[in-house]
Amino acid sequence: MKVHDKYDVFIGLEIHIHLNTESKMFCSCKANYGDESNMNVCPVCLGYPGTLPRLNEKAMELGYLVAKSLGCKIAEKTSFARKNYFYPDMPKNYQISQFEEPVGVEGLVEAEFGISESRKIRIHDVHLEEDAGKMIHAGDITLLDYNRAGYPLLEIVTEPDLRSGEETESFLRDFQRLVRYLGVSDANMDEGSMKCDANVSLNHPGKGLGIKVELKNMNSPRFVRLALNHEIARHAGILDAGGSLVQETRLWNENRDITEIMRRKEAADDYRYFPEPDMPSFVPDNDFLARVEAGLVELPLDKKRRLQTEYSLTPEQAEFIHDDAATAVFFEESVKAGADAQNAASWLSSDIQKLLNRSSLSLDASPLDARRFSTLLGLIKEGQISGKIAKKVLEKIFSDNLDPQDIVDKEGWLQISNPEELATIIKKVMMENPDVVSAVKAGDMRQKGFLIGQVMRNSDGKAAPELSGSILDKLLGTNA
Amino acid sequence: MPQIPTNWSGIFTDSERKQSYLRRVRELDKNIGSFLSFNLDLTGSETTEKGFLGGLPIAVKDNIAVSDQPLTCGSRILENLVSPYTATAVQRLEDAGAVVVGKTNLDEFGMGSSNENSALGTTVNPWDYNRVPGGSSGGSAAAVAAGLVPLALGSDTGGSVRQPANFCGVYGLKPTYGSVSRFGLTAYASSLEVIGTLTRDIDLMETAFEVMSGIDEYDQSSVGSEVSGVPDSDASRVVMLSVDNNMLDNPVARAYKETGEALRAEGYSVSEISLPTLDLVVPAYYTIATAEASANLARFNGIRYGYAPDFSENPSDLMKKARHEGFGREVKLRILLGTYVLRSGFQDQYYGRAQKIRTLIKNELASVFSTADLLLMPVFPTQAFSKGDSEMDDYKQRIADVFTCLANLSGLPALSLPVGVENGLPTGVQFMAPSFGEKRLFKVARNLQDRFPLQIPPNYLDIGGLV
Amino acid sequence: MTQVQDEWSITAELARLELDENEALILAREAERMRELFLTMSRADVEKLETTAHALEMNNRIRPDSVVSFNNVESLIEASPEQEDNFFLIPNVL
Repeated sequence: MKVHDKYDVFIGLEIHIHLNTESKMFCSCKANYGDESNMNVCPVCLGYPGTLPRLNEKAMELGYLVAKSLGCKIAEKTSFARKNYFYPDMPKNYQISQFEEPVGVEGLVEAEFGISESRKIRIHDVHLEEDAGKMIHAGDITLLDYNRAGYPLLEIVTEPDLRSGEETESFLRDFQRLVRYLGVSDANMDEGSMKCDANVSLNHPGKGLGIKVELKNMNSPRFVRLALNHEIARHAGILDAGGSLVQETRLWNENRDITEIMRRKEAADDYRYFPEPDMPSFVPDNDFLARVEAGLVELPLDKKRRLQTEYSLTPEQAEFIHDDAATAVFFEESVKAGADAQNAASWLSSDIQKLLNRSSLSLDASPLDARRFSTLLGLIKEGQISGKIAKKVLEKIFSDNLDPQDIVDKEGWLQISNPEELATIIKKVMMENPDVVSAVKAGDMRQKGFLIGQVMRNSDGKAAPELSGSILDKLLGTNA
Repeated sequence: MPQIPTNWSGIFTDSERKQSYLRRVRELDKNIGSFLSFNLDLTGSETTEKGFLGGLPIAVKDNIAVSDQPLTCGSRILENLVSPYTATAVQRLEDAGAVVVGKTNLDEFGMGSSNENSALGTTVNPWDYNRVPGGSSGGSAAAVAAGLVPLALGSDTGGSVRQPANFCGVYGLKPTYGSVSRFGLTAYASSLEVIGTLTRDIDLMETAFEVMSGIDEYDQSSVGSEVSGVPDSDASRVVMLSVDNNMLDNPVARAYKETGEALRAEGYSVSEISLPTLDLVVPAYYTIATAEASANLARFNGIRYGYAPDFSENPSDLMKKARHEGFGREVKLRILLGTYVLRSGFQDQYYGRAQKIRTLIKNELASVFSTADLLLMPVFPTQAFSKGDSEMDDYKQRIADVFTCLANLSGLPALSLPVGVENGLPTGVQFMAPSFGEKRLFKVARNLQDRFPLQIPPNYLDIGGLV
Repeated sequence: MTQVQDEWSITAELARLELDENEALILAREAERMRELFLTMSRADVEKLETTAHALEMNNRIRPDSVVSFNNVESLIEASPEQEDNFFLIPNVL
């Protein structure tokens, strides 16, 4: 029997994202931890005696923006608290975080799991805090780099509303997408701009939450899925055997595909939260709230659905187009400029994507803009160029940064649609390939493709394919 | 235009006078021990003359940051620390022309009422070398009392400026919380403390306060001044805390009574009040102060600066050894207490309750100041006690903070003011005012100046005699 | 060890204070004395009161998001008890 038939599964997440600010959360050091070690530090973020935190306005704004986008009740007054614990990467051995009055609480966000199965996931709270430094282990010693210490973090805590590794992976990818749409974070788990811890419990149906286990050290949405599924199976095994779980923290070991108990009893720490005396509360005023409003965007899921209804895209096409905000904008602008939605979607997900990958450019940074794209599609539609030529034009747009019309003119790639001109070429091909012609006339239709191919060769690909086909048929005396 | 005391003007503008002064200060301080370090940048023969404080020498308590000067906080754990930046309050004074002569001794991290808790030196009371100067700003108080500097900075968390000022017979101001930036003040109890001043000259105190105070962008808890209640010029209603006879030593009780009488003679109305919340002041203060201290002192762990043991097996061992070997006993005790009162399961009962009592106290004082302009209280139950006095053990010293803690819990300003000398030791009182009522504090001090002229201890450094 | 001393040992561990046996005894005793003083706060009627976390408060102190580099970063690394190549050093965590 499957796990989910036998047991209720409860999964909750604690997601941390690095906010895209210029400076750190509580001091003016550069927020860039890729720089040379300990270059972006100062007495404040190194925890020197006598230093005090200074709240970053942008971080507060981005925090409210995410909270609002997740459907939270946003705070009329938000305040900070000290979370006390000792660790070498902590400059003050307390973290300035939020406890009683976070930026947002009781949110609700819709998530789609598979085609047309959607559910609302509750968000417990959204709060701001600062990151710690980085440790690099090297033999006998550990090296400490505090560039990252004080980096602005936003923590999003969900209720235990997710039910499986697959749902969780999907939810995480949706969340990444939303946060990138908003422009608040890169949310890359492998680069470290997003981290996710999960807690999972199983219980007999209808009995409520079980004993929960916390999972850490999962460095991609895929590993989150694997770790959770592994852990769910482990819990099920124990419960099946009549045993009971122990509340503990476990680490995902991606080399061995298992979870292991964490060696240090860090989980036993009592954080002794108390209000941060160095920071007054923050009460957003109308100007601030207006700035937050201005940052709101159409939610990815809403956009995905609208792409299907408004442009008749398939779910797969809509999935692809909406995955990246810039692609979606590009798509809609192209259609507005006259491109056919289906064609546009198709080209975007195939040839254009290939060229972007090859050149390592993003759509925004590439020489292809919505205007050039819709012009290109228009040229195909009008029969001025063939699909095959269009691909070549696209490559030239990328390599030469020119407009499609200019490329076609320059290269002389205008399609040959003049029936007399085509007939001339076709007759030449027929004369050069008498055996094939006989075979086709005798009934071997497959060989017709060869003839069309030769027509293309002889016309440098410029022969209008459909027209060529029908003229060939006429000359052969066959019907398409 | 504010004036610096004439006998101090130009001390750093004349090279010979400067050398003579610095030499005498070091000489005299050998007996007193106010200073933990002297500003070595001053040993050259250049002179300074800038700003309207034109080269005024000041001493700074060694828990307040001055760039390139030590910042030991009186502790082994920071014995080798040199500050990479300057506190805003000090910077403002320096920008106005003041010159930091050196860093003064203190109870370790500001924890204590005698200065005996310093791990790095001993300071004596200039009035009687067998007695303590008070704490925790004992070094600053002694330096001013002995005439070594005209102005010294201290920090007042639970009375640490006012009590040593009182023991040493000088004025001590605890400004309104947030009126002077805390940026650069090594935090002990963040919501209670403020940088204060010690001096023998009320005009200088007022000038220094005006220079230092004001919102600081580096301290987001700093507060701008607001007008509150009665204009300070009209402040004339004094309420005097009624204190049990057996609570105060006789000389202190006498000075207290005398002050009430003097105020009446000066045209103030004086009536007695009692404060029902007074019993709660010390437990609430120590609960909150130790809680905040336990977090504020967590950063000292031997990694980024300061003392570290020669060998440790792992980071946890490193941190524990650094703290064990670096902290003195009183500090360990307060960290222990503070950690405890925040612990899960205890926090509501201790820390949570103390913060509510704080509200109770604030409300009570607001009510007092709705019909009065100044609150008169003693500073400390005794005069300066003897070094190692077993009668005044650590516990008793903490209980005795009752009169001074009130201003810290409420954030209100208070000034301790010398009244006289009895048995060769100073006596004094303190006044409290509503928020930003510093002007009326200076005013009452001026009004009482003739009746209670400041006296000088033996071996007082007469600057006039240095020319 | 008595239960009282247990509580203080747990507390000491939370504060990363390693106390030798003698010190632990003395401190536990002194701490107990203070704790009993703290318990006198239970006399106060504060049920309906809010807590005061800030003595005087000015809301919305905020800093614009711009970079200002510290002018002497090298000195900060040099101040460390152990450093090498721009890193702070400690014994290995693992």
